[in-house]
Amino acid sequence: MFLTRLYRESGKFRTGLLITLGLIVLALLSPILVQWRIGDVDPLKAGAFPIFADPDGTHWLGTDRFGRDVLSLVLIALPVSLTVAFLAGIISTFIGVVIGFVSGYKGGKVDSVLRTITDMFIVIPTLPLVIILAANTRSLGSVRLAMVLAFFSWPVAARVIRSQVMSLRERPYVELAELSDQPDREIIFGEILPNMAPFVAIGFAQASVGSAFALVGLTVLGLGPSSQMDLGRLISEALGYGVISLGKEIIFIAPVVLLILLFYGLALISQGMEEFFNPRLKGSA
Amino acid sequence: MVAGNPAPAVPANDPQDTTPVGVKRGKLGNPTLRYILRRLGLYLITLWGSLSASFLFFRMLPGDPISGIISQLQTRGQYTSFERSEDMVEHYQREFGLHGSLFEQYVRYFQRVLTDFDFGPSVLSYPTPATDLILRALPWTIYLIGVSTIVGWFLGIVLGTLVGWKRRTKWAEWITNGALGLSHLPAYFVALILLIFFAYRFRLLPSNGAYDSSMNPSWSLEFGVSVVRYSVLPILATIVVAIANWMLSTRALVVSILGEDFLTFANAKGVTPRRLLTNYVMRNAWLPQIAALGMALGGVVSGNVLIERLFRYPGVGNLLVDSVIIKDVNTAMAVVTLLIVMVLTFNLIIDLIMPLIDPRVKFES
Repeated sequence: MFLTRLYRESGKFRTGLLITLGLIVLALLSPILVQWRIGDVDPLKAGAFPIFADPDGTHWLGTDRFGRDVLSLVLIALPVSLTVAFLAGIISTFIGVVIGFVSGYKGGKVDSVLRTITDMFIVIPTLPLVIILAANTRSLGSVRLAMVLAFFSWPVAARVIRSQVMSLRERPYVELAELSDQPDREIIFGEILPNMAPFVAIGFAQASVGSAFALVGLTVLGLGPSSQMDLGRLISEALGYGVISLGKEIIFIAPVVLLILLFYGLALISQGMEEFFNPRLKGSA
Repeated sequence: MVAGNPAPAVPANDPQDTTPVGVKRGKLGNPTLRYILRRLGLYLITLWGSLSASFLFFRMLPGDPISGIISQLQTRGQYTSFERSEDMVEHYQREFGLHGSLFEQYVRYFQRVLTDFDFGPSVLSYPTPATDLILRALPWTIYLIGVSTIVGWFLGIVLGTLVGWKRRTKWAEWITNGALGLSHLPAYFVALILLIFFAYRFRLLPSNGAYDSSMNPSWSLEFGVSVVRYSVLPILATIVVAIANWMLSTRALVVSILGEDFLTFANAKGVTPRRLLTNYVMRNAWLPQIAALGMALGGVVSGNVLIERLFRYPGVGNLLVDSVIIKDVNTAMAVVTLLIVMVLTFNLIIDLIMPLIDPRVKFES
């Protein structure tokens, strides 16, 4: 399996993977951790604790303006952000694989049409459209929100896949399969797809980063769905009631740190994999 | 420019020596002309495609814009009845171009926009036309994007070349790692951090607006200073990330050029290292980066929407968010159309000047 060798040889990949896995574990454990910290209190319930308490033994990160435990808020927001980012990553990778595959495999007219569309999505500013969509459907759940984000982040994955399919097509074993009149389906699933796994993974990591950027951008500005608490919305709320002027930076710093970890974790994974599978890139960036 | 001598211009009307072997000499034997026509065609197709797509996108949004207009009028006390009379609805449908079938609306939309640059009235400050709102906001956005793109691109390329050229030194490695770190952050995140430190914590710079609200816009020096002060943080946020990204891609280009035979040859020929850097390495590195500038602009425009909102900067990005919140479809549509046209036109211009400055371009299909 390429993963074990990748893990052993690429420091970037290892660091990125450990950071990301750490965040995932934290997200999975969040219900238990919240229960442990504040018992059966709803983390979102206003007035459960004294407002603006300083960090101490009971409230490790203090409480916010509404008397909510900051640590618990961060803990319930993390899984929401992760779910949406990864779901969007999966959906856009799927679209990207289909489009990139058809484009790279068919070539010719099909390829130039699909490539023009992909380039169009890359060139035109799509974030305004995401903002409009998100604002007009305020009650979006995680899945629908992920679909909106994916619709605009698939071109990245499509590009990675297309270039790889094109290079795989030229390999002798694929040419051999074509010459021996194997049907397209068998060539695609038997010869090309198994060799695509790493690049699908790279596409996934990049699409997830892109989606996370867009998601946090939306929610930091208070444009995300109002039904869910995610890390961006925590930042937006904290900015809204001026935590900085009150000297309560921790309310703001906690979600920022988690998001920076998420951005770096995913970026290091994709960079480590790219360098590993495209050794020419090593040392060039 | 940094590269010293300008690249040799390609004789535009003299296809004799520039036609490569194997290129068919049909009616359009001139490769430059063919390149220009193909690029223009692609521009028109992309423009039509993306504008049609955005038209459909707006028409398919859930919710009814007319009820948005009426509730907006209600909040301002201009129209108090809660029941929407048929006449009222029809009047607004007509005024906002929402009557007739989808196809009729589509044709009318293109007619209005193409002939009069008219997007209909805005809801945000009804009955001011959406076009007026945009034209008021546009200079601010062009100022932000223009300064941050040009400065970020230029500094990024210069730094990237230096770091690539001196890639074995310690300081070059540090700068590269620093840039790598910054390149993984979205610009609005950098903006957020700058906002916290410089605007809230140390109160060195203003946190929102485009100029001191006690002043009236004028061409005075005082007002100019205020504009610059208010724009430092939003511009800095974009520039920091832009420099990091341009630096890394330039560095990658430079490192790949350093292995080329022509450099070894020039070196052996006795070209001084300085000349080697400016005339050989840099020229080959910054030319592709001009083409890349067009591809990157869309991302910058997108990011700028968030930054304008964060700093409540009165550009089109902030206008977009304001209009989206109250379902002002006309204004939002006008902003999106304008941004798409801007980015595509910029790309067209870059692609058209590329063959003049980089002879390799026009033969690529």
